[in-house]
Amino acid sequence: MDNRPLMRFCLRHSRRHLVRTLLLIFGIAMGVAGVVAIDIARTSVGKSFDLSARSLVSRSTHQIAGTGLEIPQQVFAGLRTDLGIHRSAPVISRHVKVSELGDRIVTLLGVDPFSETHFRNLHLSPAELDLSGIMTGSRGVFISRSHARQYNLDIGTPLHIFLDSRRTTVTIAGFLDSENSAAARMLEGLVVTDISLAQEILEMGDYITRIDLILEGDGAAQKIRNFLTEGLFLVETDQQNAAVRGLSYSFETSLSAFSMLALFMGIFLIYNTVSFSVTRRHRLHGILRAIGATRSNIFFTVMTEVMVYAVIGSVFGVLLGILLGKGAVQAVIATVSEMYFPLTVSQTHISGFTIAKGLLAGILAAFVSGFFPALSAAGTRPVSLMHRTVSEKGFNRLVPGLFICGLLILAAAVLLMRTGTSHAGYDFTGLFMVFFGAALLTPLLIRVIVRILLAAGMGSLGMMVKMALRNITRSLRQTSVLMASLMVVTSVYIGIEVMTGSFRLSIIQWVDDHIGGDIHVSSADPLTQALDTDLVAKIRQLPQIESLSAYNIHPVFSRASGKVHLFSYRSDQSVKRWSWTAAPEEELDALMEEGWIFVSEIFAQRHHVMPGQGAAVTLETRKGPVIFPVAGIFRDFFMGGGRAVVSPGTMARYWGHDDITALQLFLTPGTPAEPVMETIRQMLDRQDMIEIRSGNTIKQSILAVFDNTFVITSALQVLTAIVALTGILNAVMALLLERTREIGILRACGTLTVQVRQLLLHECFFYGLISGIMAIPLGTALSWILIHIINQRSFGWTYDMVLTPGVFFQAIALSSAAALAAGIFPALAAGRTHIPTALHME
Amino acid sequence: MDIEISDIDKSFDDSGSRRIIFNRASARFPSGKISVIVGKSGVGKSSLLNLISGIDLPDKGFIQVGNHCISTMNDTARTLFRRRHIGFIYQFFNLIPVLTVLENVTLIAELDKVPQKTWRSQARTLLEQAGLWDRRHDFPETLSGGEQQRVAIVRALVNDPDLVLADEPTGNLDQETGAKIMEMITTLARKKNKTLIMVSHSPDAAAWADQMFSVDSRTLTPVDNDTHG
Repeated sequence: MDNRPLMRFCLRHSRRHLVRTLLLIFGIAMGVAGVVAIDIARTSVGKSFDLSARSLVSRSTHQIAGTGLEIPQQVFAGLRTDLGIHRSAPVISRHVKVSELGDRIVTLLGVDPFSETHFRNLHLSPAELDLSGIMTGSRGVFISRSHARQYNLDIGTPLHIFLDSRRTTVTIAGFLDSENSAAARMLEGLVVTDISLAQEILEMGDYITRIDLILEGDGAAQKIRNFLTEGLFLVETDQQNAAVRGLSYSFETSLSAFSMLALFMGIFLIYNTVSFSVTRRHRLHGILRAIGATRSNIFFTVMTEVMVYAVIGSVFGVLLGILLGKGAVQAVIATVSEMYFPLTVSQTHISGFTIAKGLLAGILAAFVSGFFPALSAAGTRPVSLMHRTVSEKGFNRLVPGLFICGLLILAAAVLLMRTGTSHAGYDFTGLFMVFFGAALLTPLLIRVIVRILLAAGMGSLGMMVKMALRNITRSLRQTSVLMASLMVVTSVYIGIEVMTGSFRLSIIQWVDDHIGGDIHVSSADPLTQALDTDLVAKIRQLPQIESLSAYNIHPVFSRASGKVHLFSYRSDQSVKRWSWTAAPEEELDALMEEGWIFVSEIFAQRHHVMPGQGAAVTLETRKGPVIFPVAGIFRDFFMGGGRAVVSPGTMARYWGHDDITALQLFLTPGTPAEPVMETIRQMLDRQDMIEIRSGNTIKQSILAVFDNTFVITSALQVLTAIVALTGILNAVMALLLERTREIGILRACGTLTVQVRQLLLHECFFYGLISGIMAIPLGTALSWILIHIINQRSFGWTYDMVLTPGVFFQAIALSSAAALAAGIFPALAAGRTHIPTALHME
Repeated sequence: MDIEISDIDKSFDDSGSRRIIFNRASARFPSGKISVIVGKSGVGKSSLLNLISGIDLPDKGFIQVGNHCISTMNDTARTLFRRRHIGFIYQFFNLIPVLTVLENVTLIAELDKVPQKTWRSQARTLLEQAGLWDRRHDFPETLSGGEQQRVAIVRALVNDPDLVLADEPTGNLDQETGAKIMEMITTLARKKNKTLIMVSHSPDAAAWADQMFSVDSRTLTPVDNDTHG
């Protein structure tokens, strides 16, 4: 038989059921859109990170840096005069905010115009200007040409640069330009000026951030190492860049996890829509087989039609995903900037790979979804195809086997994820297997739950309730696909809700433990971070103060992750959650005095310190690299490369800091914070060098930052809701179409329109209720995987999983409400059923 | 319950053109009598039953069922009237597959919130007469065609309707089973003094009928029972 008549028949059928055809396309499109949107967010973060980092990169092979991340400028002079190394350039680089550039964070790059020629090609405009032109005392800076256009800025326009709470005014001297569009984007992250003006703006005195070098051969490097005094060290530029790049990689990994979740949901949704689309024509295919269509005719026809819609849906999905992705990029970039590394260049990156991935996800998922129903349609005898109950009976026989397969797949997933490998691919495969395995359990679970509900007296609530429940098991082949999809979507909601809820609770606990003080006083002086000892003494004597934590924090260089923070506590009121690597808690003080250090989870992850194993890390000190034994790892959400706690003695011996940089003040009970803060302010000569904030303000700002971390997960939850509604609407419409004759019978027997609608809404409610119930264990497992595997490997932090009944009730309510909402339109339509037509339907 | 059909018109949209089924058709079906409607396929016999039961409405004319003009009632009123006063038996049984035999029989009574003790004894009596009481907890798919039709008959009679409509009740059964079913329907109808209107192709139907009508040329024409039989 020629396939063309069959294709014509299928297309005519689709045209006649336009709403369902559009829903099928929309279902595929939504699945693809989720994948593309999150992938765009992920790749854009990576791209923005690259551009932001590359904007600071020069042709240097090595860099001289200081343990305290600053070095005296005279080192540069010494290099040139004493060692004769001319291919060297002093650099100052610091993130500042510029109000005229829409309060964006940019890198203030201070360079020496005469040394720069070896390192960077800064194309300046107007062409007659060169960098030395800005040394005329005019406080001139160069900004990117595209930014100038975007914000309507011209030469001579004043710019206000903010560093923390301090403000400096400079003038635009010219523009940074490039004909290459990628390079032009990179320049958007920079404000370039002369090194002396940068020192003035940043109040750095005679200090610089680093010295860039172009060295050939190990001899020159060794000569420099011998030349450097304590606290200074030489690093290879590539190694340094890789450490910085690693910061963002963890966040991208977590986005990949969410991209995978979106993909799984997308696949389930597509499977749901396509399989319903195919199975609802079961009888028609049977008739065609009966009149002479071959198996291959049916298979080819079904698959061709599915693939046509898959391509259309995938193309729409990609377009929709691009729109959604563009919206998500800014939110994600803001999160990364807050938590890891200020992204001075934000680039929405839509790669061909992302588009191909989305298209492929849609087409492959549709192929797989259509393949088995098409195979089943093509391979069954015509007589049985025409009777729905026969195929249902066939499916019912498969149910126990599917359950066992599901259990085996779940067991394999657990084994895969317990292998301990940190490769993200294993985790994602394991995650997919968990979803797939759980989906195979659903037919039997549905049957059991329906029996339990009926036995529990649901049936006594009326004939309509009883019918609704029995209809679910009667069409198990189709309802199990619908409910498995709804279960997956609801479990993703539970997983994300439990993860974010647990994380937030841990953060609140951590903030209370670590930032428990009523008032925080810290240095905002970039040169001397120490608080004045007289000021500390005066504060200590204030009668309103019951106790205080005094500590010093200093950023130091780590080869593994760039910048890390060292803490030493003079007195500490904070409570830490420990996991030990080598020592019990009671020996804490003694170990610290012996030179052991304690590191945060993030620090441990970046430096590959494993709990339960004796470990050591190398840190750059004033005396060169020193290996420190790690006694314990503590739970910590302090970002910026992690932190290590050392004794005050170790801090003084190796980094030369014996100062106090911050205080946490605990007031006597009932004392309001604001008057005490005002008293402290009055003790200060220069208020902009000391930051005084209430504990509550700090807590709220920290929580706000961490809430931002999960902005992408919130977006995923919204996507979940849309996916749930779309998927169910299509499936419910298809299922209810099969009920048309039954509805006709009921109406003919005297069932009122409203009762028919109640029946269908009951049925939809039970779809949601049972799916919600099944989603609880799957969602709990997913949240465990997200917290203990994905998050830990992505971010390095752990937190306790907190399960609250409220989340489960919410999830059940969500799935029930989504199913009910999806049932409204079909129920209204069912109420309008033309009884004589329905009675003659098969 | 007398049924009076007065000058009804009925037409359907058939792929863009109007197909006229009835044109000024009239008939009277007396109370307690068995009336049989005959006619070729597609002439509108089933449509007539749909019109009498209020499942469908005439374009013009009136249908009086007892003291009620069913063709002027709204949908809810027609549905409730059908539920309380009309029993319907179909060619394809039309049982609800997810309900047991007993549940199928008592569905309407339950929907109408009739007290259980009232309908339960009636259902039991009828199911015992139909020889199906032992199978009351079985689902329709486990029954034979004849058994399913007997359940449908019990369902149609359980709420003691004044009017029973039967649309080719034996059309899907073998001759022997069909004869038994016909006997059951007519016996129950006569015993309970019901008005029975039955559409049938069966030549034996005339034997059960008190009066016959033929649907022909868009009207209802009385047929001499003896000549047809």
